[in-house]
Amino acid sequence: MWQQTPGEAGILVGPVRDIPEGSAVRVPVQGPGLPAAIAVFHDSGEFFAIDDTCTHRNASLADGWAEDGEVECPLHGGRFCLRTGAALEPPPLRPVAVFRVEVRDDSVYVFPGAATSGDTGGAAGG
Amino acid sequence: MPPVADHDGPPGRVVVVGAGLAGVTFCDRLRAGGYGGRLVLIGAEEHLPYDRPPLSKELLQGKTSAAEVLLRPEQWYAGSGIELRLGSSVERVDTAAGAVLLDGGLVEPADVVVLATGGVPRALPVPGAGHPAVQTLRTLADAEQLRDRLTGGCRLGVIGAGLIGAEVTASAVALGCEVTLIDPGERPIEGVVGARVAAALQAQHRDNGVRLVRGTVTTVTTSPGGGVRLEVRGATGDPAGAGDPAGAVECDVAVVGTGIEPELSLAATAGLAVSGGVLVDFAQRTSCPSVFAVGDIARRVGPAGPQRRLEHWDSAQQQGGAAAAGVLGLPLPAERAPWFWSERYGTSLEVVGRFTDAEAVAWRGQPGAGPFSAVGVRAGRCVGAVAVDRPADIGAARRLIDRDRPVEVDVLADESVPLRALLRG
Repeated sequence: MWQQTPGEAGILVGPVRDIPEGSAVRVPVQGPGLPAAIAVFHDSGEFFAIDDTCTHRNASLADGWAEDGEVECPLHGGRFCLRTGAALEPPPLRPVAVFRVEVRDDSVYVFPGAATSGDTGGAAGG
Repeated sequence: MPPVADHDGPPGRVVVVGAGLAGVTFCDRLRAGGYGGRLVLIGAEEHLPYDRPPLSKELLQGKTSAAEVLLRPEQWYAGSGIELRLGSSVERVDTAAGAVLLDGGLVEPADVVVLATGGVPRALPVPGAGHPAVQTLRTLADAEQLRDRLTGGCRLGVIGAGLIGAEVTASAVALGCEVTLIDPGERPIEGVVGARVAAALQAQHRDNGVRLVRGTVTTVTTSPGGGVRLEVRGATGDPAGAGDPAGAVECDVAVVGTGIEPELSLAATAGLAVSGGVLVDFAQRTSCPSVFAVGDIARRVGPAGPQRRLEHWDSAQQQGGAAAAGVLGLPLPAERAPWFWSERYGTSLEVVGRFTDAEAVAWRGQPGAGPFSAVGVRAGRCVGAVAVDRPADIGAARRLIDRDRPVEVDVLADESVPLRALLRG
C-alpha cells in the first residue's frame, strides 16, 4: 500500500496495462462510511472511481458498460456520470459517490478516504 | 394552476392512464424535458407505483419488501408536480371533448392523454381454474399472496414455462418448495433463445430438482388430500427421463404463467386504431394525434408495417421516453434493440435483439456449462444475442446492433477478443 499523505491510504488497483480501455476493476473496501466496493474504470484514456453499487438495485457497476464518461448499469440500464457520480438516466435516482484515483509509476491507485460527490474524479492513464 | 399553453406550444394538461413503469417513466421524462403544465397520473391499484421484475424474484423469495420495489419514493410525485390518483379506474377516454372520465363521474380535462394500461394475466381456460389455490402473478398483491403461500415443503404447480413461470419455479425452489413445471413445449422459449439455449434452460430446472411435465392442463379439481389436482393431457414426462409420465399433478398451490392480454378496451372505445395492440408511430402517437400509448399495449408501426408488440421492462421505459419527446416535439431518443433479462437459480439470462433471426451463431462458452454468450449473425450484421452471466457480451452485442457494425462469426467466436473491441475502428 502506498501512502499519499499521512492518514490517507491509497489502494493499489493494479498496473495500468491490466486495466484496458473500457474495462473496470471491482475493489472491495472496508471502513466506516465506505461502500462495500469501489469500481475503477478506464474510459477514454482516463481512470475513474465510483461506488460500485448501483443506487437502484444493488448491481455491481464494474460489470456495466463504460463509455464516453458514463457507465450503464448491467441490470437495468441506468446510467451514471463517471466523473461526478450523477444519476443520468433512471431507474437510479440518487448519485453514487466518486473517489479520487491516481496513476503513479504505471499503476492505478484509489483513495477510499476521499469520497466526494463533486467534480474531482478522473486521472489520466497510459 | 399553470397556464394552458398556446395552440402551437406544448399542451397544458396531460393525463396518464396507468401507473406502471411506462406511465411513470413518461411523467419523469416529460418533466425532464421541460414540461411545466398540469400532469395527472391515474393508477388502478391503491399502492404507490412499483417495479414488477422483483415480484417473481426478490420479493417472492422474501429478499425485498413492497416498500423497496417502489418506482419512485412517495415524495417524488409531489416534488415533480404530478397529481397522483391511485385506486382510480378510468371508464372512458373522450378524444373529441379532450377528457378522461373516471369512475364515480369525475371528469379530468386533457389536452393530451397517454394510455399505459398494461395487461392482465391470461386465465387458465379450463374447468375448475377459479379454484382459490390457483393464482396468477402480475400485481404486488398477487406476489405477496403467493409469497405467503410458498412455505417450505409446499407443493407448487407452475403452469407455463415462459419467463414468469421459470422465475416463479426458481424462486419456489429457493424457498424449499417441491415444484412441478408444466408446459406443452419440449423447449419452452425456444422461439426467443433458440433450441440449444432453451434446452439448457430446461435442463437447469431439472438439475435443480424440478419435476418437468410436458402437457396441457385440462381440468382443475379439489384434491382429496387438500390443494388441487391438475389433470394434464399429453403429459409425456421429461424426455430425458427425470420426470414422471404422469396424467395428473397434485399440488397445494398452482400458478398460471401463460402470458398477458394487453388491456386494449379504453383504446378501442376511444376509437383508436387497434390491431393486436394500440397502433402507434415511433413517438408512440396513436391514430388520434392527442393520444399516445406506451408499454405492453403499444404496437409500433414501422415502414414495413406493424412490428411485434413488446412486453419487456426495457421497452416500457424506452417508450415512456419516446412518448415524452413526442408530446414535447423534441427529437426522439435513439432506437435501441429490444432487451430483457430473467433470473433463475442465481444466474442471469439476457437476450438482446432478435436472436432467432440469425443465420449463423458465434458461441462464446457453452450453454449449460456456466457463463456463455451466443451472438447471432445475419447478412454480416449482429441481429441478436443470448447470454447467461455475461453482461459485457450483451452490452457489446446491443451496440453492434444499434450501430449497425459489420461482423464476422469467426471473429465473434474468438474468446481471446473482447466483443467490445469489435466496436472500435
